[in-house]
Amino acid sequence: MNISCNDRERILLDGSPEEWAALEQHAGTCAACAEELRAWKQLSAAAEGMRDYQESPALWARIETSLRQQQAALAPRKSVWSSFDFLRHAGNLWQSALVGAMVVALAVSSGYLYIHRGGSPTDPGNRLLRTSALAEVERAEREYMAAIDKLALDAGPQLGADTPLMASYREKLVVLDSAIADLRAQAGENPSNAHLRKQLLAMYQEKQQTLQDVLETKR
Amino acid sequence: MGSVGLTLPWEHKLSSVARDGEQRVEPFEGQTEPIRTSEELPQDAAIAAACLSGNLQGYERLYHWQGTRMKNLARNLLGSQSDAEDAVQETFLKIQRSISGFRGQSSFVTWTFRILVNTCHDLRRSRLRRKDRANEDVDELPPRLELRAPGAHPSLRMALERALAKITAHQRDVFLLYEVEGFRHAEIAGMLAISETASKNTLFQAKKNLRTMLEPPRSSATGGAQ
Repeated sequence: MNISCNDRERILLDGSPEEWAALEQHAGTCAACAEELRAWKQLSAAAEGMRDYQESPALWARIETSLRQQQAALAPRKSVWSSFDFLRHAGNLWQSALVGAMVVALAVSSGYLYIHRGGSPTDPGNRLLRTSALAEVERAEREYMAAIDKLALDAGPQLGADTPLMASYREKLVVLDSAIADLRAQAGENPSNAHLRKQLLAMYQEKQQTLQDVLETKR
Repeated sequence: MGSVGLTLPWEHKLSSVARDGEQRVEPFEGQTEPIRTSEELPQDAAIAAACLSGNLQGYERLYHWQGTRMKNLARNLLGSQSDAEDAVQETFLKIQRSISGFRGQSSFVTWTFRILVNTCHDLRRSRLRRKDRANEDVDELPPRLELRAPGAHPSLRMALERALAKITAHQRDVFLLYEVEGFRHAEIAGMLAISETASKNTLFQAKKNLRTMLEPPRSSATGGAQ
Protein backbone atom coordinates (compact mmCIF):
# COMPACT_ATOMS: atom_id res chain seq x y z
CA MET A 1 0.00 0.00 0.00
CA ASN A 2 1.45 3.35 -1.04
CA ILE A 3 0.67 6.28 1.20
CA SER A 4 1.93 9.85 1.42
CA CYS A 5 2.20 12.51 4.10
CA ASN A 6 -1.26 13.72 3.09
CA ASP A 7 -2.75 10.44 4.30
CA ARG A 8 -1.26 10.77 7.78
CA GLU A 9 -4.08 12.60 9.58
CA ARG A 10 -6.75 10.43 8.07
CA ILE A 11 -4.90 7.32 9.25
CA LEU A 12 -4.31 8.79 12.71
CA LEU A 13 -8.03 9.54 12.91
CA ASP A 14 -9.47 6.25 11.73
CA GLY A 15 -6.97 4.17 9.82
CA SER A 16 -7.20 0.45 9.26
CA PRO A 17 -4.44 -1.85 10.57
CA GLU A 18 -3.06 -2.12 7.04
CA GLU A 19 -2.96 1.67 6.69
CA TRP A 20 -1.20 1.99 10.04
CA ALA A 21 1.39 -0.53 8.93
CA ALA A 22 1.87 1.40 5.71
CA LEU A 23 2.25 4.64 7.67
CA GLU A 24 4.89 2.99 9.84
CA GLN A 25 6.72 1.94 6.73
CA HIS A 26 6.42 5.41 5.24
CA ALA A 27 7.72 6.95 8.50
CA GLY A 28 10.92 5.00 7.99
CA THR A 29 11.78 7.32 5.11
CA CYS A 30 9.87 10.50 6.12
CA ALA A 31 11.19 12.48 9.09
CA ALA A 32 8.03 14.59 9.49
CA CYS A 33 5.72 11.61 9.61
CA ALA A 34 8.12 9.73 11.88
CA GLU A 35 8.12 12.66 14.32
CA GLU A 36 4.34 12.95 14.27
CA LEU A 37 3.87 9.23 14.72
CA ARG A 38 6.32 9.16 17.60
CA ALA A 39 4.53 12.02 19.40
CA TRP A 40 1.18 10.33 18.81
CA LYS A 41 2.40 7.11 20.37
CA GLN A 42 3.99 8.92 23.27
CA LEU A 43 0.60 10.34 24.18
CA SER A 44 -0.79 6.83 24.41
CA ALA A 45 2.22 5.79 26.47
CA ALA A 46 1.68 8.69 28.85
CA ALA A 47 -1.99 7.75 29.11
CA GLU A 48 -0.94 4.28 30.23
CA GLY A 49 0.77 5.97 33.16
CA MET A 50 -2.59 7.34 34.28
CA ARG A 51 -3.89 3.84 34.81
CA ASP A 52 -3.58 3.11 38.51
CA TYR A 53 -5.80 0.22 39.52
CA GLN A 54 -4.96 0.05 43.20
CA GLU A 55 -7.61 -1.30 45.56
CA SER A 56 -9.19 0.87 48.23
CA PRO A 57 -9.67 -1.67 51.02
CA ALA A 58 -12.51 0.13 52.82
CA LEU A 59 -14.41 1.34 49.78
CA TRP A 60 -16.54 -1.74 49.15
CA ALA A 61 -17.59 -1.94 52.81
CA ARG A 62 -18.68 1.69 52.61
CA ILE A 63 -20.61 1.11 49.38
CA GLU A 64 -22.23 -2.06 50.70
CA THR A 65 -23.46 -0.28 53.83
CA SER A 66 -25.01 2.52 51.80
CA LEU A 67 -26.55 0.03 49.36
CA ARG A 68 -28.17 -1.87 52.24
CA GLN A 69 -29.53 1.34 53.74
CA GLN A 70 -30.95 2.43 50.40
CA GLN A 71 -32.40 -1.02 49.77
CA ALA A 72 -34.17 -0.90 53.13
CA ALA A 73 -35.50 2.57 52.35
CA LEU A 74 -36.73 1.48 48.92
CA ALA A 75 -38.21 -1.81 50.11
CA PRO A 76 -41.79 -0.71 51.02
CA ARG A 77 -42.21 1.13 47.76
CA LYS A 78 -40.77 -1.74 45.82
CA SER A 79 -42.90 -4.42 47.42
CA VAL A 80 -46.07 -3.03 45.84
CA TRP A 81 -44.71 -3.25 42.33
CA SER A 82 -42.48 -6.24 42.76
CA SER A 83 -45.57 -8.46 42.69
CA PHE A 84 -45.99 -7.46 39.05
CA ASP A 85 -42.34 -8.02 38.10
CA PHE A 86 -43.13 -11.42 36.63
CA LEU A 87 -45.23 -9.68 33.96
CA ARG A 88 -42.04 -8.32 32.43
CA HIS A 89 -40.86 -11.78 31.67
CA ALA A 90 -44.24 -13.19 30.63
CA GLY A 91 -45.10 -13.45 26.97
CA ASN A 92 -47.69 -11.25 25.27
CA LEU A 93 -50.23 -14.07 25.27
CA TRP A 94 -49.97 -14.56 29.02
CA GLN A 95 -50.12 -10.84 29.64
CA SER A 96 -53.28 -10.56 27.49
CA ALA A 97 -54.86 -13.54 29.26
CA LEU A 98 -54.11 -12.06 32.67
CA VAL A 99 -55.51 -8.67 31.73
CA GLY A 100 -58.63 -10.37 30.32
CA ALA A 101 -59.14 -12.33 33.54
CA MET A 102 -58.79 -9.15 35.57
CA VAL A 103 -61.38 -7.39 33.40
CA VAL A 104 -63.84 -10.29 33.80
CA ALA A 105 -63.33 -10.37 37.56
CA LEU A 106 -63.87 -6.62 37.73
CA ALA A 107 -67.05 -6.84 35.63
CA VAL A 108 -68.49 -9.67 37.75
CA SER A 109 -67.79 -7.93 41.03
CA SER A 110 -69.20 -4.64 39.69
CA GLY A 111 -72.37 -6.42 38.51
CA TYR A 112 -72.81 -8.10 41.89
CA LEU A 113 -72.44 -4.79 43.70
CA TYR A 114 -74.88 -3.11 41.30
CA ILE A 115 -77.54 -5.77 41.79
CA HIS A 116 -77.13 -5.79 45.53
CA ARG A 117 -76.61 -2.08 45.96
CA GLY A 118 -78.45 -0.37 48.84
CA GLY A 119 -77.86 0.56 52.39
CA SER A 120 -75.47 -1.15 54.67
CA PRO A 121 -77.07 -3.73 56.94
CA THR A 122 -75.35 -2.15 59.88
CA ASP A 123 -76.86 1.29 59.21
CA PRO A 124 -80.16 1.51 61.15
CA GLY A 125 -81.57 4.09 58.73
CA ASN A 126 -80.90 1.93 55.67
CA ARG A 127 -81.38 -1.52 57.08
CA LEU A 128 -83.41 -3.92 54.91
CA LEU A 129 -86.85 -5.05 56.06
CA ARG A 130 -87.54 -8.72 56.42
CA THR A 131 -90.56 -10.11 54.54
CA SER A 132 -92.93 -10.22 57.58
CA ALA A 133 -91.99 -6.72 58.68
CA LEU A 134 -92.49 -5.47 55.14
CA ALA A 135 -96.04 -6.88 55.11
CA GLU A 136 -96.84 -5.06 58.34
CA VAL A 137 -95.50 -1.77 57.02
CA GLU A 138 -97.51 -2.12 53.82
CA ARG A 139 -100.64 -2.86 55.82
CA ALA A 140 -100.08 0.24 57.99
CA GLU A 141 -99.59 2.33 54.86
CA ARG A 142 -102.85 1.03 53.41
CA GLU A 143 -104.67 1.97 56.66
CA TYR A 144 -103.14 5.44 56.57
CA MET A 145 -104.18 5.86 52.96
CA ALA A 146 -107.72 4.77 53.72
CA ALA A 147 -107.93 7.11 56.69
CA ILE A 148 -106.46 9.95 54.65
CA ASP A 149 -108.93 9.40 51.81
CA LYS A 150 -111.81 9.53 54.32
CA LEU A 151 -110.43 12.70 55.93
CA ALA A 152 -109.83 14.29 52.53
CA LEU A 153 -113.45 13.61 51.62
CA ASP A 154 -114.66 15.25 54.84
CA ALA A 155 -112.29 18.20 54.52
CA GLY A 156 -113.00 18.82 50.83
CA PRO A 157 -115.67 21.52 51.23
CA GLN A 158 -113.63 23.29 53.90
CA LEU A 159 -110.45 23.30 51.76
CA GLY A 160 -112.33 24.88 48.85
CA ALA A 161 -112.98 28.06 50.88
CA ASP A 162 -111.32 31.16 49.43
CA THR A 163 -109.42 32.18 52.54
CA PRO A 164 -105.68 32.70 53.07
CA LEU A 165 -105.62 29.97 55.72
CA MET A 166 -107.20 27.37 53.41
CA ALA A 167 -104.94 28.47 50.53
CA SER A 168 -101.98 27.78 52.82
CA TYR A 169 -103.39 24.35 53.72
CA ARG A 170 -103.94 23.57 50.03
CA GLU A 171 -100.34 24.47 49.21
CA LYS A 172 -99.09 22.35 52.08
CA LEU A 173 -101.16 19.38 50.91
CA VAL A 174 -99.84 19.77 47.34
CA VAL A 175 -96.27 19.65 48.64
CA LEU A 176 -97.07 16.63 50.81
CA ASP A 177 -98.76 14.80 47.92
CA SER A 178 -95.70 15.47 45.73
CA ALA A 179 -93.35 14.16 48.40
CA ILE A 180 -95.53 11.09 48.97
CA ALA A 181 -95.59 10.35 45.22
CA ASP A 182 -91.78 10.54 45.03
CA LEU A 183 -91.30 8.35 48.07
CA ARG A 184 -93.81 5.77 46.81
CA ALA A 185 -91.97 5.63 43.49
CA GLN A 186 -88.63 5.03 45.27
CA ALA A 187 -90.22 2.52 47.65
CA GLY A 188 -91.65 0.68 44.65
CA GLU A 189 -88.14 0.16 43.30
CA ASN A 190 -86.73 -0.81 46.65
CA PRO A 191 -89.60 -2.01 48.85
CA SER A 192 -87.34 -3.38 51.60
CA ASN A 193 -85.67 -0.04 52.31
CA ALA A 194 -86.77 0.76 55.86
CA HIS A 195 -85.55 4.35 55.66
CA LEU A 196 -87.82 5.08 52.66
CA ARG A 197 -90.76 3.41 54.38
CA LYS A 198 -90.28 5.50 57.51
CA GLN A 199 -90.18 8.70 55.50
CA LEU A 200 -93.30 7.66 53.62
CA LEU A 201 -95.17 6.94 56.84
CA ALA A 202 -94.05 10.30 58.22
CA MET A 203 -95.53 12.00 55.14
CA TYR A 204 -98.80 10.11 55.56
CA GLN A 205 -98.94 11.14 59.21
CA GLU A 206 -98.22 14.74 58.26
CA LYS A 207 -100.98 14.71 55.63
CA GLN A 208 -103.38 13.08 58.07
CA GLN A 209 -102.56 15.71 60.68
CA THR A 210 -102.96 18.53 58.14
CA LEU A 211 -106.39 17.27 57.08
CA GLN A 212 -107.43 16.95 60.72
CA ASP A 213 -106.28 20.56 61.27
CA VAL A 214 -108.48 21.62 58.36
CA LEU A 215 -111.45 19.86 59.91
CA GLU A 216 -110.67 21.46 63.29
CA THR A 217 -110.97 24.95 61.77
CA LYS A 218 -114.58 24.09 60.82
CA ARG A 219 -115.40 23.33 64.40
CA MET B 1 2.46 25.69 31.76
CA GLY B 2 5.45 25.27 29.56
CA SER B 3 5.84 22.65 26.91
CA VAL B 4 7.19 19.34 27.95
CA GLY B 5 9.18 17.53 25.33
CA LEU B 6 8.23 13.92 24.80
CA THR B 7 11.74 12.69 24.40
CA LEU B 8 11.78 9.69 26.69
CA PRO B 9 13.18 6.60 25.06
CA TRP B 10 10.80 3.74 24.56
CA GLU B 11 9.87 1.01 22.25
CA HIS B 12 6.79 1.32 20.14
CA LYS B 13 4.79 -1.21 18.36
CA LEU B 14 1.52 -1.21 16.58
CA SER B 15 -1.02 -3.62 17.89
CA SER B 16 -0.95 -6.65 15.68
CA VAL B 17 -4.59 -7.38 16.37
CA ALA B 18 -7.04 -4.63 15.72
CA ARG B 19 -10.03 -4.44 18.06
CA ASP B 20 -13.01 -4.60 15.75
CA GLY B 21 -11.12 -2.62 13.18
CA GLU B 22 -9.81 -0.07 15.65
CA GLN B 23 -6.07 0.58 15.66
CA ARG B 24 -4.76 1.22 19.14
CA VAL B 25 -1.16 2.25 19.64
CA GLU B 26 0.72 -0.04 22.00
CA PRO B 27 3.69 1.92 23.28
CA PHE B 28 5.47 -0.77 25.27
CA GLU B 29 6.31 -4.37 24.74
CA GLY B 30 4.49 -6.55 27.22
CA GLN B 31 2.17 -3.75 28.33
CA THR B 32 -0.92 -4.93 30.17
CA GLU B 33 -3.85 -5.01 27.82
CA PRO B 34 -6.84 -2.84 28.66
CA ILE B 35 -9.88 -4.59 30.04
CA ARG B 36 -11.84 -6.11 27.18
CA THR B 37 -15.47 -5.90 28.12
CA SER B 38 -16.74 -7.57 24.97
CA GLU B 39 -14.88 -10.72 25.91
CA GLU B 40 -16.71 -10.80 29.21
CA LEU B 41 -20.26 -10.40 28.06
CA PRO B 42 -21.56 -13.49 29.91
CA GLN B 43 -20.20 -12.08 33.16
CA ASP B 44 -21.71 -8.71 32.27
CA ALA B 45 -25.15 -10.26 31.75
CA ALA B 46 -24.94 -12.37 34.90
CA ILE B 47 -24.06 -9.37 37.05
CA ALA B 48 -26.83 -7.31 35.47
CA ALA B 49 -29.33 -10.07 36.23
CA ALA B 50 -28.15 -10.33 39.84
CA CYS B 51 -28.44 -6.57 40.33
CA LEU B 52 -31.88 -6.57 38.70
CA SER B 53 -33.06 -9.18 41.19
CA GLY B 54 -31.92 -6.95 44.05
CA ASN B 55 -29.10 -9.27 45.06
CA LEU B 56 -26.31 -7.26 46.68
CA GLN B 57 -23.81 -9.90 45.61
CA GLY B 58 -24.39 -8.66 42.06
CA TYR B 59 -23.15 -5.23 43.07
CA GLU B 60 -20.21 -6.76 44.88
CA ARG B 61 -19.24 -8.71 41.76
CA LEU B 62 -19.53 -5.53 39.71
CA TYR B 63 -17.30 -3.75 42.20
CA HIS B 64 -14.64 -6.45 42.18
CA TRP B 65 -14.76 -6.58 38.40
CA GLN B 66 -14.85 -2.87 37.54
CA GLY B 67 -14.42 -0.99 40.83
CA THR B 68 -10.75 -0.06 40.45
CA ARG B 69 -11.30 0.93 36.86
CA MET B 70 -14.26 3.09 37.89
CA LYS B 71 -12.23 4.70 40.65
CA ASN B 72 -9.32 5.34 38.30
CA LEU B 73 -11.54 7.10 35.76
CA ALA B 74 -13.23 9.11 38.51
CA ARG B 75 -9.88 10.15 39.92
CA ASN B 76 -8.66 11.26 36.50
CA LEU B 77 -11.87 13.23 35.97
CA LEU B 78 -12.01 14.76 39.45
CA GLY B 79 -8.36 14.91 40.41
CA SER B 80 -8.84 13.59 43.91
CA GLN B 81 -8.85 10.13 45.46
CA SER B 82 -11.55 10.94 48.02
CA ASP B 83 -13.80 12.59 45.41
CA ALA B 84 -13.27 9.54 43.20
CA GLU B 85 -14.38 7.19 45.98
CA ASP B 86 -17.43 9.38 46.61
CA ALA B 87 -18.25 9.25 42.91
CA VAL B 88 -17.96 5.47 42.77
CA GLN B 89 -20.16 5.09 45.84
CA GLU B 90 -22.77 7.47 44.43
CA THR B 91 -22.66 5.59 41.12
CA PHE B 92 -23.48 2.30 42.85
CA LEU B 93 -26.38 3.94 44.67
CA LYS B 94 -27.68 5.39 41.41
CA ILE B 95 -27.41 1.98 39.77
CA GLN B 96 -29.47 0.46 42.58
CA ARG B 97 -32.10 3.19 42.29
CA SER B 98 -32.42 2.94 38.53
CA ILE B 99 -31.62 -0.70 37.84
CA SER B 100 -35.23 -1.37 36.84
CA GLY B 101 -34.68 1.03 33.95
CA PHE B 102 -31.78 -0.97 32.54
CA ARG B 103 -33.08 -2.48 29.30
CA GLY B 104 -29.91 -4.20 28.12
CA GLN B 105 -29.58 -1.96 25.08
CA SER B 106 -25.91 -1.58 25.96
CA SER B 107 -23.66 -3.73 28.10
CA PHE B 108 -24.10 -3.36 31.84
CA VAL B 109 -20.55 -2.03 32.12
CA THR B 110 -21.23 0.62 29.48
CA TRP B 111 -24.39 1.62 31.35
CA THR B 112 -22.46 1.74 34.63
CA PHE B 113 -19.71 3.94 33.22
CA ARG B 114 -22.27 6.27 31.68
CA ILE B 115 -23.70 6.81 35.16
CA LEU B 116 -20.19 7.21 36.57
CA VAL B 117 -19.20 9.87 34.03
CA ASN B 118 -22.40 11.82 34.68
CA THR B 119 -21.87 11.50 38.44
CA CYS B 120 -18.33 12.83 38.10
CA HIS B 121 -19.59 15.78 36.08
CA ASP B 122 -22.24 16.49 38.71
CA LEU B 123 -19.65 16.33 41.49
CA ARG B 124 -17.29 18.59 39.60
CA ARG B 125 -20.05 21.13 39.00
CA SER B 126 -21.08 21.10 42.65
CA ARG B 127 -17.45 21.50 43.64
CA LEU B 128 -17.14 24.49 41.29
CA ARG B 129 -20.29 26.03 42.75
CA ARG B 130 -18.84 25.70 46.23
CA LYS B 131 -15.65 27.32 45.04
CA ASP B 132 -17.61 30.08 43.33
CA ARG B 133 -19.36 30.84 46.58
CA ALA B 134 -16.01 30.95 48.33
CA ASN B 135 -14.67 33.32 45.61
CA GLU B 136 -11.87 30.99 44.80
CA ASP B 137 -10.06 30.64 41.52
CA VAL B 138 -11.79 27.97 39.43
CA ASP B 139 -9.81 28.29 36.23
CA GLU B 140 -7.98 25.04 36.47
CA LEU B 141 -9.57 21.61 36.25
CA PRO B 142 -9.04 19.38 38.03
CA PRO B 143 -8.08 21.71 40.89
CA ARG B 144 -5.59 19.46 42.57
CA LEU B 145 -3.57 16.49 41.44
CA GLU B 146 -2.72 13.98 44.11
CA LEU B 147 0.32 11.79 44.31
CA ARG B 148 -0.04 8.36 42.81
CA ALA B 149 1.80 5.16 43.01
CA PRO B 150 5.01 5.44 41.01
CA GLY B 151 4.59 4.28 37.45
CA ALA B 152 6.32 4.58 34.14
CA HIS B 153 7.53 8.07 33.27
CA PRO B 154 5.90 10.02 36.15
CA SER B 155 7.01 13.40 34.76
CA LEU B 156 5.35 12.67 31.44
CA ARG B 157 2.20 11.52 33.20
CA MET B 158 2.05 14.67 35.31
CA ALA B 159 2.57 16.82 32.22
CA LEU B 160 -0.27 14.98 30.52
CA GLU B 161 -2.53 15.45 33.55
CA ARG B 162 -1.92 19.18 33.46
CA ALA B 163 -2.53 19.30 29.73
CA LEU B 164 -5.73 17.32 30.12
CA ALA B 165 -7.00 20.01 32.49
CA LYS B 166 -6.82 22.48 29.61
CA ILE B 167 -8.75 20.67 26.92
CA THR B 168 -12.54 20.54 26.84
CA ALA B 169 -14.37 18.24 29.26
CA HIS B 170 -15.78 16.29 26.33
CA GLN B 171 -12.33 15.70 24.82
CA ARG B 172 -11.00 14.76 28.24
CA ASP B 173 -13.79 12.22 28.74
CA VAL B 174 -13.15 10.54 25.40
CA PHE B 175 -9.36 10.54 25.83
CA LEU B 176 -9.52 9.01 29.31
CA LEU B 177 -12.10 6.40 28.32
CA TYR B 178 -10.19 5.34 25.21
CA GLU B 179 -6.53 5.77 25.99
CA VAL B 180 -6.51 5.14 29.73
CA GLU B 181 -9.44 2.79 30.35
CA GLY B 182 -9.24 0.99 27.03
CA PHE B 183 -12.87 1.26 25.94
CA ARG B 184 -13.78 0.97 22.27
CA HIS B 185 -15.29 3.88 20.39
CA ALA B 186 -18.58 1.99 20.18
CA GLU B 187 -18.64 1.68 23.97
CA ILE B 188 -17.66 5.32 24.48
CA ALA B 189 -20.41 6.35 22.07
CA GLY B 190 -22.89 4.51 24.28
CA MET B 191 -21.55 6.09 27.45
CA LEU B 192 -21.49 9.66 26.20
CA ALA B 193 -24.58 9.46 23.97
CA ILE B 194 -22.63 10.38 20.83
CA SER B 195 -21.94 8.57 17.58
CA GLU B 196 -18.94 6.34 17.10
CA THR B 197 -17.62 8.73 14.48
CA ALA B 198 -17.99 11.64 16.89
CA SER B 199 -16.00 9.67 19.44
CA LYS B 200 -13.19 9.10 16.93
CA ASN B 201 -13.17 12.75 15.88
CA THR B 202 -13.18 13.94 19.49
CA LEU B 203 -10.28 11.67 20.37
CA PHE B 204 -8.36 12.90 17.36
CA GLN B 205 -8.93 16.54 18.34
CA ALA B 206 -8.02 15.80 21.96
CA LYS B 207 -4.74 14.18 20.93
CA LYS B 208 -3.91 16.99 18.54
CA ASN B 209 -4.49 19.56 21.28
CA LEU B 210 -2.52 17.57 23.84
CA ARG B 211 0.30 17.03 21.39
CA THR B 212 0.43 20.79 20.72
CA MET B 213 0.53 21.53 24.43
CA LEU B 214 3.09 18.91 25.31
CA GLU B 215 5.38 19.19 22.31
CA PRO B 216 4.85 21.86 19.67
CA PRO B 217 5.79 20.77 16.16
CA ARG B 218 9.48 21.24 15.59
CA SER B 219 9.02 22.28 12.02
CA SER B 220 6.22 23.39 9.72
CA ALA B 221 6.66 20.22 7.75
CA THR B 222 5.07 18.20 10.49
CA GLY B 223 1.69 19.84 9.81
CA GLY B 224 -1.41 18.50 11.46
CA ALA B 225 -0.64 19.63 15.00
CA GLN B 226 -2.91 22.61 15.38
